[in-house]
Amino acid sequence: MLVHLQGPWTPVLGRLTLQQIPYENPILLGTFTFVAVLAIAILAATTYFGKWEYLWREWLTTVDHKKIGVMYCLLGLIMLFRGFIDALMIRTQQAIAVGHEAPGYMGAVHGYLTPFHLGQIFTAHGLIMVVFAATPLLVGIMNIIVPLQIGARDMAYPYLNALGLWLTTAGAALVMVSLFIGNFAHGGWYGFVPYFELPYSPGVGVDYWIWTFQLSAIGTSLGSINLIATIVKMRAPGMTWMRLPIFTWASLSTNLIALTSFPVLMVSLALLALDRYVGTHFYTAGMGGNLMLYSDLFWVWGHPEVYFLILPAFGMMSEIIPTFSEKPLFGYATMVIASFAIGGVSWGVWLHHFFTMAASPSVNSFYSVTTMLVGIPTGVKVFNWVFTMYRGRVRYELPMLWALLALFLLLVGGMTGMMNAFASSDYMWHNGLFVVAHFHMMVLVIAASVFGAVEYWFPKVFGFKLEQKWGKWFFWFMILGTGWTFVPMFLLGFAGMTRRLDYIPYMQWSPYLHVMLVGMVFYVLAVCFFVAHLYVSLRDRVSNRAGADAWGTGRSLEWMTHSPVPAYNYAFIPHINVLDEWAWRKENGLTELHAGDYEGIHMPKNTGIPLFLGMLFMGLGFALIWRIWWLALLCVALIVGLIILRSFDRDTDMTIPAHEVERVERGARDETPATARSAGMPGGAVTAHSALRPGTDGIGGGTTSTNPSWAPMDR
Amino acid sequence: MRASAAQKVDPAHATLWARHYPGHDMIGTRTFGFWLYMLTDAMVYAALFASLGVLSHVVNLAGGPSPSAFINPVYAYGETITLFLSVLIYGYSMVALKNGNHSGVIGSMFAAMLLGMVYLVIAGIDIREMFAQGIIPEASGFLSIFFTIIIYHALHIIVGVVWMLVMMIQVAREGFSANVVYRLINLRLFWHFQAVIWVFVFTFVYLQGMVV
Amino acid sequence: MTEHTQNPLNHPEVQLANGRAYLVSFILSMLLTTAGLWLAITHITTPFGTVLVTSFLAGAVVVIQGYFILHMDISHAQIWHTVAMVLFLPLFVVTIGLTAWMFHGLYQRTMLMPPGASDMAQMSHPPHERTPS
Repeated sequence: MLVHLQGPWTPVLGRLTLQQIPYENPILLGTFTFVAVLAIAILAATTYFGKWEYLWREWLTTVDHKKIGVMYCLLGLIMLFRGFIDALMIRTQQAIAVGHEAPGYMGAVHGYLTPFHLGQIFTAHGLIMVVFAATPLLVGIMNIIVPLQIGARDMAYPYLNALGLWLTTAGAALVMVSLFIGNFAHGGWYGFVPYFELPYSPGVGVDYWIWTFQLSAIGTSLGSINLIATIVKMRAPGMTWMRLPIFTWASLSTNLIALTSFPVLMVSLALLALDRYVGTHFYTAGMGGNLMLYSDLFWVWGHPEVYFLILPAFGMMSEIIPTFSEKPLFGYATMVIASFAIGGVSWGVWLHHFFTMAASPSVNSFYSVTTMLVGIPTGVKVFNWVFTMYRGRVRYELPMLWALLALFLLLVGGMTGMMNAFASSDYMWHNGLFVVAHFHMMVLVIAASVFGAVEYWFPKVFGFKLEQKWGKWFFWFMILGTGWTFVPMFLLGFAGMTRRLDYIPYMQWSPYLHVMLVGMVFYVLAVCFFVAHLYVSLRDRVSNRAGADAWGTGRSLEWMTHSPVPAYNYAFIPHINVLDEWAWRKENGLTELHAGDYEGIHMPKNTGIPLFLGMLFMGLGFALIWRIWWLALLCVALIVGLIILRSFDRDTDMTIPAHEVERVERGARDETPATARSAGMPGGAVTAHSALRPGTDGIGGGTTSTNPSWAPMDR
Repeated sequence: MRASAAQKVDPAHATLWARHYPGHDMIGTRTFGFWLYMLTDAMVYAALFASLGVLSHVVNLAGGPSPSAFINPVYAYGETITLFLSVLIYGYSMVALKNGNHSGVIGSMFAAMLLGMVYLVIAGIDIREMFAQGIIPEASGFLSIFFTIIIYHALHIIVGVVWMLVMMIQVAREGFSANVVYRLINLRLFWHFQAVIWVFVFTFVYLQGMVV
Repeated sequence: MTEHTQNPLNHPEVQLANGRAYLVSFILSMLLTTAGLWLAITHITTPFGTVLVTSFLAGAVVVIQGYFILHMDISHAQIWHTVAMVLFLPLFVVTIGLTAWMFHGLYQRTMLMPPGASDMAQMSHPPHERTPS
């Protein structure tokens, strides 16, 4: 059944040989040295400070949705950095390799990256940014916030939640492994057939791409099942559908998209894998395959996927803007409808990714019209945000700044998106830089919202706010970088430059490419400011302690529990009476969180099995990539065995006793910022610490607003 | 939406905390999530059937055998009978669960599992005969999707059989604890769903393959 | 998550098991699939007619099984299962239908027909969408 391979293969190591380690490439050698030194430093530090047990107990085996969310975000940030380095290399290569007299270094004819190397870089850049940076960041934030917003103590399936995290991590780790063992796919992140078929891409790069993608798809699907079941089944009493916080609505919509669309991605990748491993003819050019079937299946997932990414971002903006406008969200019901309209329409637009494939005019027209329809609910959202700010007390704190940037970028990205919706003009700029600039605007909407959401919810998770000074430098340099990089990219798109060029023959494009390089310098500085931002925030964490309602004007339920949130989220399950329950309670002076005697709380126990399953799946992926069949079979057997074994485990739950709950809650209530010096260890044991100020109403922490937060909103 | 202050809930008499909240319906939550998973699996089949539609053009036969030339409806019909019977008997196992009858659950499940194995044997013979005639997935685009669909369905049956084996042991060991009960319900959803999918496979792959 | 302290066998999803409904579903499903098989073997109608009727029979079997053995109804215990399925149904139609539609046009434009094979071109349609030729 298995295909006949070109090149050597041994039963023990499969295709793996020493020649597969690219030690002769100075860039990869440098990267490897950097990663190895960093890894050794981290391992040594963990050992030196005796943190292994802590790491294992509190993080690696946790099933706590907040910690899992934090780890998702960390994974997303690390991969965001990796993707950014890739972007830096693409931009420098394109700035150097202009004109036939451009110099060449390190084996490249022009520039310093060979076409094969650059191909791997832009493929990795796209894949990493979409599925290993944006997705984990968004899933992580949803993981942390959604259970808090609906008054639940955990996700519906805590164990599955951890499994989703470790599967995604396994995929990300395999992408990193591909740097140093073998190579990565080099034909673009969404793949091309028959180019990605074995005869044309005989190396392991495409196999890395298939299995990393597949792992992240499985992880995200599991996460989406979990979030949907959590929202449908785990809401606190009284939390009717129309009292659901808007971010939770956005999460529900986005996870419905993920749930329905990711299976199609799995099919499209699995059929390609069958072509490569078994020798079937799904996408081959001859023997009855159909090349366009791949594009079709891939984008059946691919377009819903981009709305999967953007909807949580919209949800974040919808939470941040009312909080910092000190007003309820304008048009809550229309916002909900718009979220679901976007989710629905997302399922009927995928052909606009390949208008040029020679479908009939009626088909192209249909998809043009559906694509333009997306603009209507999006427009509703934009106007709702604007009207929320209108006559509000707008405070330009960091989360709000990011939300406003996201709003602005959404206008630019949305308008250019409408231009791309015309099938006729798509024939002019298909695969051009105009399209690239457009979707980078849209992913920057996501990036800006995520940074805003991190600033916004950081005190909820860690108990202290991020500082503002370096954060603002970071913010402004991100704007500078975005402007200097993407305005020239739009112009180059109009000039007709296509994407993924390793060599640019036209000298007249050179100024634009150099301006883009300036933008990258701003981005690099922004990254430095971001690091400073984090460092200063951690250093000054004691003076930045935040109370439960960190911003003073929080509206939804998550501001009703301590910051950082105790492991059990709510000592007493709240009963929900209105939309924006916390704002309502503040208006009516109902901010007391102590409701009587504490009770024991039933929680799931930690387990290391999801971590082991993640490792085994990584091993399975590695074995399949290198065609080490014995290892693949062993991993499958161990995975099945471990899953069955776990189902026999009856000791999966525990009860936090009432006195323990009381101790944690008392600590949270009695502690004042002055005595909190030992607490708030970043990423420490999530016990409750909240600054209740005696003599004030409720537990509102520091707010920059001079008005009481419970003042009537309409003037 | 109106400002929350205007919403007509009297703060003086509002219930603020759900004291002694019994918790969420654990079994209902588990089965709902599993049902969502089954629907994603149905989406996998939808994508596979869409591929079947695309790869059913005469070009996709690549000069190889057309389905009407090699499909043997006897095997497919045999698979239909065994699978539907297995589903029926698994249903009786659920009736026994309702009555709290341990041996009834295990006995019916054993019969359902045996029928699942019979299904696998029939499918195996069917596939082996086709392979012996040179009708293999590598032969053409159409045969690729044809075999992918029927083998993917057979894989589900294998999973179901293994799962039933595990559940019989768990029922014997633990009795009807909440964990065992939700797994039995999930297995019911899984197993009964295979019958629904089989209706599509039988009709669109086998019957209509024979006609055109 | 708090466990139910009461007997799990009292859960509504356990209690909805119904032996008679399963038997009815089995008998009806067997009758209808047998009818489909008989149509396909005997070639009693045109190929298009067979495709149409077998598709219809499959739809009927699925509805019967969905109601009797998957318990897709709007009772309190099952409502969310049903809602989730109803949400998926249009997406199945969209995935298969729109794909078929675009490839139908695509094949007409890109595939060179072998002589005499043009009557088979319609195979790119899923059967239930086929129009009489």
